[in-house]
This record gives sequence, structure tokens and C-alpha cells, in this order.
Amino acid sequence: MMLEITNLHARLADGREILKGIDLTVAAGEVHAIMGPNGSGKSTLAAVLAGRDGYEVTAGGVRYQGRDLLSMPADERAREGVFLAFQYPVEIPGVNNTYFLRAAVNAQRRHKGEPEVDAGQFLRIVRAKLKLLDIGDDLLQRAVNVGFSGGEKKRNEIFQMAMLEPRLAILDETDSGLDIDALRTVARGVNELRSPDRAIVMITHYQRLLDYVEPDHVHVLQDGRIVQSGDKSLAVELEARGYGPFDKLAGDAA
Amino acid sequence: MPQTAMNAIVDFPVKPEARPYLDAFDRGVGHNAQVEPAWLAANRRRGIARFAELGFPSRKSESWRYLDLQPLQRQPLLPAAAPSGAMLRTMGDRLAHLTLPKTSVRLVLIDGCFARELSSIAVPEGVWFGPTCSAIVERPDLLHEVMDDISDAATHPFAALNAAFFGDGYVLAIAPGVTLDQPIEIVHLGSGAGAGSFHTRSLVTLGAGSRASILESYAGPETGSGHYWRNDVVAVRLAEDAELTRTIIVEESAQAVHLAQLDATLGTEARFTGFALLLGGHTIRHEADVRLTGENARCRIDGAFIVTGGDEVNIVTAIDHAAPGGQTRELVKGVAAGRGHGAFQGRIIVREDAQKTDAHQLSRNLIIGQRAAIDTKPELEIYADDVKCTHGASVGDLDEAALFYLCARGIPLEEARRMLIDGFLREAVDTVDDLDTRAHLLRHLARRLASLEE
Repeated sequence: MMLEITNLHARLADGREILKGIDLTVAAGEVHAIMGPNGSGKSTLAAVLAGRDGYEVTAGGVRYQGRDLLSMPADERAREGVFLAFQYPVEIPGVNNTYFLRAAVNAQRRHKGEPEVDAGQFLRIVRAKLKLLDIGDDLLQRAVNVGFSGGEKKRNEIFQMAMLEPRLAILDETDSGLDIDALRTVARGVNELRSPDRAIVMITHYQRLLDYVEPDHVHVLQDGRIVQSGDKSLAVELEARGYGPFDKLAGDAA
Repeated sequence: MPQTAMNAIVDFPVKPEARPYLDAFDRGVGHNAQVEPAWLAANRRRGIARFAELGFPSRKSESWRYLDLQPLQRQPLLPAAAPSGAMLRTMGDRLAHLTLPKTSVRLVLIDGCFARELSSIAVPEGVWFGPTCSAIVERPDLLHEVMDDISDAATHPFAALNAAFFGDGYVLAIAPGVTLDQPIEIVHLGSGAGAGSFHTRSLVTLGAGSRASILESYAGPETGSGHYWRNDVVAVRLAEDAELTRTIIVEESAQAVHLAQLDATLGTEARFTGFALLLGGHTIRHEADVRLTGENARCRIDGAFIVTGGDEVNIVTAIDHAAPGGQTRELVKGVAAGRGHGAFQGRIIVREDAQKTDAHQLSRNLIIGQRAAIDTKPELEIYADDVKCTHGASVGDLDEAALFYLCARGIPLEEARRMLIDGFLREAVDTVDDLDTRAHLLRHLARRLASLEE
């Protein structure tokens, strides 16, 4: 199984419990959407899966391709094929975007025992991906995310995802704050990545992205738990009725 | 009363730590009064007398408080003997690493002595370029002024000691209106043979409207070991509308003491662009004193340093605006790791006449680990009322969010840290306009970061 989350509980350093028993199973080839209102624990789930510091898992576990994901440091998870598209991509002054990406690609290649790519080879791969995603090359020579518009930052995340070809991609509100063109670019990137040996988890507040990337499964996250799961029609229902009706479910589950 | 406090040269009490140097001078070490011109011999005597009186600076003195000179004070490093010819022949490979691929004009000093066989100093019409020893014979007119200049002021003990003992250095003198297209390279190499001090004294003087750029490297032997003290003094004199770029790299051996002083005077509309990349050496002091004496002169003085192990780096700059309309831009970025200690002391003085001065100074620093330390002390001293002056300083840790972002792309933690440090320092290196020189600096920076211990 690509990803198996079992009874996952996690809290912040200040002791506040955010995840209160998440169960989720994602198989290769599937696209899952996790939807929920602000504060439901969506971003915490993404952060815990990617290995960000500052969260303590107090119960439950996560298996990724049969291995204990939580025991791996963040960089190893990434090299093993887990990719997190950040809700707020970080600006890194002085670090060139192309250089950064080549370091990431080569770290992964070393990990797999493959030879590293040199600057020339890398550029050819970059050009091919850019063309596929219909992204301009204007972002390449700038420092990572520095001075990028919101849309450019998100495009850069999708571009990185395309370059790294993850087995499991987690998109944390990648659709938020995007105009329609940027949303289409992001959706194109995600759809290009869909494949039988890859899984995608899209975390989103809105149904909008799901118009462009059709999920196999939709889950509603409420107060740290998945309170309902269904197919894409669940997303449509959410859009029409809001998260209100699910409050009751969250209350029942507690 | 201490016994034998007097000496043939000085008639006042000698500071005890200066005694071994004074005795060495008496024995004729580092100079030869028989063959040198009288003015030079007199200058040397003035130098040693001044040093004997001043001794080593105390840490109570503000300018020297951040540097520990105790080991040097306890164990004197007397002027080193000239290197042997056999040793010079082994230096070729080391030079290749330290120099730009395409430069045609290069002067090499090994252990402070001119290495003719490793140098190529042919220059176009209107330019005098060569070792200081040759200039003493061929162009004493150039040297008189700057030497008297320094030894009379003589508040700086090591500049005084340098005046007494300097073995060589370089002189670059350019006639008015001449532009040197290619950068001139100076390589100061320590051979690592035996413990001792190298005293070098150099002069760059540019006539009105002339232009030049210099890349100067200070390095130890390939092995990285060598116990020496480099004491370097460079004078820069820029006439009206002259323009000089001077970029230096310091990669001394792990035990080396490197004390360097730049003394620059900028005439009307003259432009000086200095950059220092300080990457290695046990005790480094990089001092720059710049006076803007002509109107509308411009000074850009930037730097970057990495200090690790138990090493110390001290950047001390004093930019003195003495005429109206001057401009200063200063950006110094420092990284301290291990038990390294970095310090930046930057003064900008704006004299009463220096109206419309526009000066901006920024010191930004990164501390890696618990035991490293940075001191930063920017200072503005303003006596004019119509000026635009700002300064700022920061000391921080690596950005955790950025670190996680890199790791979340599979980049191993250590590599991610190096990338962030490199990115941090690169902002300063990017102020270097010449692309070949910048690439050269970045190569050295990358090599240094690859061996960074934390």
C-alpha cells in the first residue's frame, strides 16, 4: 500500500492536540482530496507526513510503501519519493532556483544509486518538463521563490514536483490564492503526474481545484478526524452546503 | 627599573614584547643598512623605535578588543628568511589554484619575497608595476611620500613594525588617463617552511582619470599548515576621477596570523571598490582606513567571512568623509561556526565640511551552533548637518523554515545548511562586478563550505 495512516494523533509543541485519530489508506494510482474548514488539521496532517519539526505524534502510525514513515527524517522521506507542495513556499535569498533543484534531483539520484546529472543534462530535462507543463523559464535564474508572485510560487512547487517525480505527492492548499490561469497550470501539472504507480493527496479548502483534477476519493476532515469519505460527489455536496452539516458528525465522533 | 631597558636605537623604555623584534633589528634581520638608501634606513629606524615604544596593542584599546594576540605576544615570530630557489619551484601547482585562468600580469610574493620566476610583470606604457624593492631603486619618488605618511602618524604598532622590517611588496603606479583592461594579480604565498613573520608593504597610486583592478590572494601552502605571521600594509592613492577595484581572498594556513591594513586616500570624484573574502587563518584582522579627501568621491567596501574552529576574524573599517558629496556603501556578511569568533567594527566619519554625504553600512551575520560568536559594532560619527547616513546590524541563526524546505526536497541536512550559508554570503560576493573574479571567489567559497565543520 502506498500510504496507510492509522489512528494518527499529533499535537503541537504547546500541547494542543490537532490530529485526533486519523485513518486513511491511499493506494498507488489514486487521487484523494482531503477537504475541511480552517483549523480542521489539514496543514498539520501535511506537515506530519512531510516530517516538519514542531509536531509530536502521540499515538498511531503511518506506513509508506510498507515502511514506518514517521521514523525517517524529512530529507530521507523526500528521497524515498514523498513530495509536499507547500501552502506557503519559502523564500531563500542567494540560492539559485536551478541550482537548488539540481541539488534535489541529484540527492535523489544518489539515493537510488544512479549517476548524478551535470548542468547540461539537467537543463535538457528542465526544458522538457517546462514545455510539458507550459511554464516559462523565467523562474529558473532567480533565487528560490524570492520576489515570486503567489501564482509563481505555486507554479514553482508544481515544477519541482514534476522534476522530482514523487511516488506520493501531497498538495497542501496548492490551489489557494490562484487566479484561473495559474489554477489551470497547477491542475495540468497534477494531471500530468497521475499514473498507476503514483498517489496524490490534495488538501484543499475549496472544491475549485477538483473541477480540474478529478479525485477518486474525497474525505472531510473536521476537528482532527476524517468524519466522512465518499467519491467526488461529496465535494460537490460540500460546495453546495458548506462544512456546517459535518459539524454534527464531528460532534458524534467525539 | 627593568635592566637594559635602553638600546642603541631608542632612548626610552622598550615594551617587553617588542624586545625580541628590536634585538633582531639590531642584528640586521630583515634589512641591510649598508646597501639601502639613507632615507629608507632612517625610515626603518623610525619604524622600529615607534614599535618598541608602542608594543602590542592592548585589548583595552577599542580597535583591538576583539582579537586575541596573546599567543603571538608570547611567542615572537621574527622576520623569515628568504625562501630557497628549490622551494619556489614547488609552488607552481598551488599558484594555479589561486589565480584566474586568463590573467597575464601577475606578481608573486613567497614568504614576503618577490618570486621573479613565478611572476610576469610586463605592463603597458604609462604603468609602473613591480616589487617594492625595485621601486626603491627605480622610483623612490613614489615611495617617499607614503612611507613618511605612515611612520609619522604611527599610532598603529604593526604598521610601524612593518616599516622597520618590510622585505618587499608591490608597487602599481599608473599615469593619468591610462586604463588597465586586465586585472592585475598579486599572490602572497606562505611556503610553510619554518616559523616566522612576513612584512610586506605595497603602494597603488593612480593618476587622474586612470583605471585599474587588482585581485590579491593571501594563502598558505597546499598542506594548509604553516606557522607564520603575515603583516601586510597597502597604501592606495587615487587622484581625481581615478578608479580602483581591489578584491582580496584570504586563505591562510590553519595556524597563521594575518594582520592587514589598507590605507586609502580618494581624491575628487575618485572611486574605490574593495571586496574581501576571508576564508581561513587562525587570527585574521582586515583593517581598511579610507579617507575621502576630494569632493564626490565614492567608496564601496564589502566583504564576507567564514570563521570556524577556534579561529578569529576581525574586520575593522574606518571611512572618513572629509569632503562634500561623498558616497559610501558597505556590506559585510559573516558566518561563525564551531568555536569561531567573528567581529565587525565599522566606523563612518562625516566631517563638518562633508555635506551631502550619502553613506550606508550594513553588517549581517549568521551564527551556526552554540559555541560560535559574533560581535558587530557599526558606528556613525557625524559632524555635518545635511547628510544621508544609515547603518544596520543583525546576528541570527539559519532560517529553520528554509532548512525544512530544502530537506523536504530530499537535500540532506548538511548540504542544505551549506546551501543556505552559501546563499547568505553570496549576496555580498555578488557585489563584485567582474564576472571572472566573482566566479573565482565563489569557487573558493564553495570549497571552503565543503569542508565546514560545525
